[in-house]
Amino acid sequence: MKDLLTLEMSYSEYHLIFPKIVLIALGITILMLIGRFVLKFIRERKGFISMKRLLSSDFNRLKFFASLGLLFVYPLLMNGLGFVISTVIFMIVLTLILMGRVNKKALMVSVTNSLTTTIVVWYVFGRVFDITLP
Amino acid sequence: MEILGVLGPTSILLCFLGVFIGMIFGTIPGMTATMAIAIFLPITYSLEMIDSIGLLIGLYVGGISGGLVPATLLNIPGTPSSLCTTFDGYPMTQNGEGEKALKVGITASIIGGFFSLLILYFCAPFLASVAIDFSAVDKFLIIIFALTIIASISQGSLLGGMFSGLLGIFISLMGIFPDNNELRLVPGFWEEELYYGFTLLPVLIGLFAIGQMLKEAEEGMKPAAHQDIDLKKGKKSGFSFGIFRKQGVNLVRSSVLGTFVGMLPGVGGSAASITAYSQAKNFSKQPEKFGKGEPEGLISSESANNGLIGGALIPLLSLGIPGDSTTAILIGAFLLQGIEVGPLFITSNPDLWNGIIYALIVANIVMFILMFFSIKYFAKIVYIPKYIIFPIIVVMCVVGSYAINNGVMFDVWTLLLFGLAGYIFMKIGIQIPPFLIGFILGAQCEKYFIDSLKGSNGELTVFFTDGPMAVFLWVLILLALGYSLFGNKKNKKNINQEAA
Repeated sequence: MKDLLTLEMSYSEYHLIFPKIVLIALGITILMLIGRFVLKFIRERKGFISMKRLLSSDFNRLKFFASLGLLFVYPLLMNGLGFVISTVIFMIVLTLILMGRVNKKALMVSVTNSLTTTIVVWYVFGRVFDITLP
Repeated sequence: MEILGVLGPTSILLCFLGVFIGMIFGTIPGMTATMAIAIFLPITYSLEMIDSIGLLIGLYVGGISGGLVPATLLNIPGTPSSLCTTFDGYPMTQNGEGEKALKVGITASIIGGFFSLLILYFCAPFLASVAIDFSAVDKFLIIIFALTIIASISQGSLLGGMFSGLLGIFISLMGIFPDNNELRLVPGFWEEELYYGFTLLPVLIGLFAIGQMLKEAEEGMKPAAHQDIDLKKGKKSGFSFGIFRKQGVNLVRSSVLGTFVGMLPGVGGSAASITAYSQAKNFSKQPEKFGKGEPEGLISSESANNGLIGGALIPLLSLGIPGDSTTAILIGAFLLQGIEVGPLFITSNPDLWNGIIYALIVANIVMFILMFFSIKYFAKIVYIPKYIIFPIIVVMCVVGSYAINNGVMFDVWTLLLFGLAGYIFMKIGIQIPPFLIGFILGAQCEKYFIDSLKGSNGELTVFFTDGPMAVFLWVLILLALGYSLFGNKKNKKNINQEAA
């Protein structure tokens, strides 16, 4: 019993003691969650996560995936084009995606939004507060 | 005046600005005080600590208070903490008493705010003085207690909450362990980037701001408000401070309840609002009027949610444990400036402690003045389209993440990664607050755990035999677990009964 309640403490292994315990606890919780899921499935024939709920009828695929994709393109753009140009482009496109339409008015709104924000952020963060910009 | 000596004109100005911006965030449904603080955190990097406190406290107070505007006028809580404000605020608007309702709410807010401030002022130093003598075992158990409460009270199941909290701890352990400088849990290709683990700030902003944006994008960025706001212009609002004459008990009870709920780690603002509202209803002489436009209900909800602020700051400033996700982000602000919050914070930083108290006073007064006299114009903010706001927020998040370590692109990727994670969490029903608190406290939790075991040569029994404090904490942990098991059963029963 005493051995069970004692942990080997060696300096070179300090960094592994706690992560091991957390991993074991995580494993147990995951097993219990799976167990509950299986029980529920057997009892009610209903999944824990229904695909219907995930992809509900008002799931806006275009807006979601386009903005998600754009988010991950933005840092790449910044690496190539620098902060100001890439932010102007990013904001125009993101505003248009989120508005969900491309016409004269939408373009006006997105360009204004983009330019104002970029200039203000560039000036306030970069100049006034002297924060490093990409 | 002492207040000027501590805060200084810059801090007061920033506090003013903070309240103003916070109110905008609070007013727009889907944007919260937490998000406002997360987004503005990078700016504080280049400010003096006392100035950033002014700004952040302003954002906090403004953000929580702003939520009452759409709750009252449109039946949409602007922030979760205004949930019960809709029950009586909106019916009042429908009766043509919108302005009166807002002014009642604002007045209740400031009273709740000052009440919790008093409790904070007297409780936090006391709690801190007790906590100074805590051993590593006690500190470890306090963190476990905090995590247990979060897991057990968070919506959804105890098991789900525990999973979320453990996952947060696990991710916080990535990188080197400072005791022996050994790297662990890091994939080979990220060894350099993750040497110190994920940076706190991008994780926070990603989970809250980017995740929320993805969720709104998926829902099509629908406008929050369809109906027009009718404030009956030109008519007298019908508001007078006389409404509060018989509300003393209600105000005190709701503020104290709000403060107490705020003190419990990780318990959100909606719980404060719900608890106070249901108690107000229980004790009211006319409970049948609740939900039909009764100022009493409105007062309870709004004084409780502003009471929450002082309450949430108590464990943060005395134990270093955040009371909710907003104060969790405040920890980030202190860390940015190299200040550790914990039992020693108040005694070793008396100026900052006074600064926080004064900033709360200023923020509450500014909030009251701004809202009381310009409420009609503030109400229009609800109509700003989200497709304009979210791109701005994304850019600010990216800039903030990039700047936090003076220009590290990996932090931007961290932001996006955790943004996606936050979205997935929301989708599959994993609660974000337990994850967040686990992530923030994970490293400390490990430190105290290892320190305890060093003292006992590896014997785990030390966690039970350390002293009376340890036993007391175990009792609290068991109570929290018991409550959640019992509470969950009761909830399930209710759901089953309703379904039947």
